[in-house]
Amino acid sequence: MSGRVIVITSGKGGVGKTTASANIGVALASTGVSVALVDMDIGLRNLDILMGLENRVVYNLVDVVEERCKLRQALVKDKKLPNLSLLPAAQTRDKSAVTADQMKKLCEELKAMYDFVLVDSPAGIEQGFQNAVAGAEEAIVITTPEMSAVRDADRIIGLLEARKDEIKEYRLVLNRYRPTMVANNDMMSVDDVLEILSVKLLGVVPEDEDIIVSTNKGEPVSGTDNIRSGLAYRNIARRIRGEEVPIMDLDVKNPTWMSKIVSFFNPTVRV
Amino acid sequence: MSKIAIISQPEQGVLIDVGGCSTLKEALEHLSGTLQSSNQFWKGSKVLFGLGALELTVNQAAQVLAIGKGVGVFPDEVFSSSAKTRAAFAEQGAKVIDKIPMSLPKIKLEMPKGDIPFAEADEADEQPAHHAANKKAPQAVSDITLLEVDTIEVDPEDEVEGQDKKDVLKESTIDGAPVDGAHLPQVLYVKQTLRSGQTVSHKGDLVIVGDVNPGAEIMAEGDITVWGSLRGIAHAGVGGNSEAEIRALNLQPIQIRIASAIARAPDRPRISYASGTGPETARIVEGKIRIQKSKAD
Repeated sequence: MSGRVIVITSGKGGVGKTTASANIGVALASTGVSVALVDMDIGLRNLDILMGLENRVVYNLVDVVEERCKLRQALVKDKKLPNLSLLPAAQTRDKSAVTADQMKKLCEELKAMYDFVLVDSPAGIEQGFQNAVAGAEEAIVITTPEMSAVRDADRIIGLLEARKDEIKEYRLVLNRYRPTMVANNDMMSVDDVLEILSVKLLGVVPEDEDIIVSTNKGEPVSGTDNIRSGLAYRNIARRIRGEEVPIMDLDVKNPTWMSKIVSFFNPTVRV
Repeated sequence: MSKIAIISQPEQGVLIDVGGCSTLKEALEHLSGTLQSSNQFWKGSKVLFGLGALELTVNQAAQVLAIGKGVGVFPDEVFSSSAKTRAAFAEQGAKVIDKIPMSLPKIKLEMPKGDIPFAEADEADEQPAHHAANKKAPQAVSDITLLEVDTIEVDPEDEVEGQDKKDVLKESTIDGAPVDGAHLPQVLYVKQTLRSGQTVSHKGDLVIVGDVNPGAEIMAEGDITVWGSLRGIAHAGVGGNSEAEIRALNLQPIQIRIASAIARAPDRPRISYASGTGPETARIVEGKIRIQKSKAD
């Protein structure tokens, strides 16, 4: 078996890399393929918390690299999905604990064991990022519709393009999208962001309070039905697998007086 | 104050460490006392002398070796952190080293097949009898055996002027950096709150006066006591001491490990940390880690 190694990265912190990693991991595994989630944020590990697996972590990525344990021992199986595993980061070390070559080797090993290897990159463009992209062949760039996040995403895309021998494909996920703000011209629209970044769009995830609840519970939203952001992540997983799934229509059209009357009488019709 | 440690490891031999002594006179007394008290013991085993940071001249080094010679012992290796002392011993034909030769045994955990079990809460109150039984004798900790610990008060007149009077810790680490001075199973007090990513490990018993936050890790060969909330990972009895205990005023750890046993917190979502559990103790009962409430009154 030779799986696909996909790095999830953003440049800017706090845009939802780890949340996206957990959700895409769960959504992919739900489709039946085997998935390994790799937390590369050494020293600031979070992915185990989002997955609700913190209390099962015994060994970590650095232990594997430094050969204190076998790779299989460090992989923590998900509570619900037996085909989903997490390779946690070390919390008591820092980014310099591993090298890019060691990561490459590790990704090769994981590729042989899983259909998908998702690498959650730390924020920044320093060694942590370099290590995270070292073994990857594809990238998912996460950004939010904010100038600063888009600027950092642009920087990251530049760095990924510079590695075009290794990174064959990169696509964008626009996270924390607020259609009402976009309608009021208070937020960049999907088209605005794509205009600047000129990159393939993998998905748009709406802002959702359920994300906070799910983070605290340790249950990613993509594992739950009836949550809009969860559906967005499930769609993203299907697109990663090659399915043609249209981007959810999130935009609120500017209501005209005519459309207001129509929707007043027939609320299901969206004009 | 403990002045001398004897550590024996099957593969590495026996280390007689008098590095805790503040004067040469004292060190010589301890060394000769130890060698003579059990002179049969040394035959056939590899013997190492540890002299810590003591500074010795060539003559003094010869004196040390003469004491060994009296009972038929010539040290295989002499450890000293002082370059002067190492040079003196080298001149006398002894092999010198500058690193502490004995180290903590490697941590081995028995990974349970399938899921890691919960730490089971035991509603029964702590039994004092059980507690007392644990404290009887110093336990043999896996392949490190403590043979003898001597405690002698320092006569102020023995002190050399300008020499550092305080005992410094060895081989304990905070955040991976060695803290000098813990050859003996002694207590390390850490008076601070340990935050995520911070670690403390110690060869003896460990007392944390403060909280241990989620993401922090504490390890000890002996017991672990947290005068505060334990919310991170605690590993007591590192090296195999299954009698070791972990106690805290508020025991809410992510994981507890005692010797090679491991238990995890239940999966209930944890948003509120504010409510305390009251003092509890975790120990191994019939091969499983159990948590017992400590009686408040």
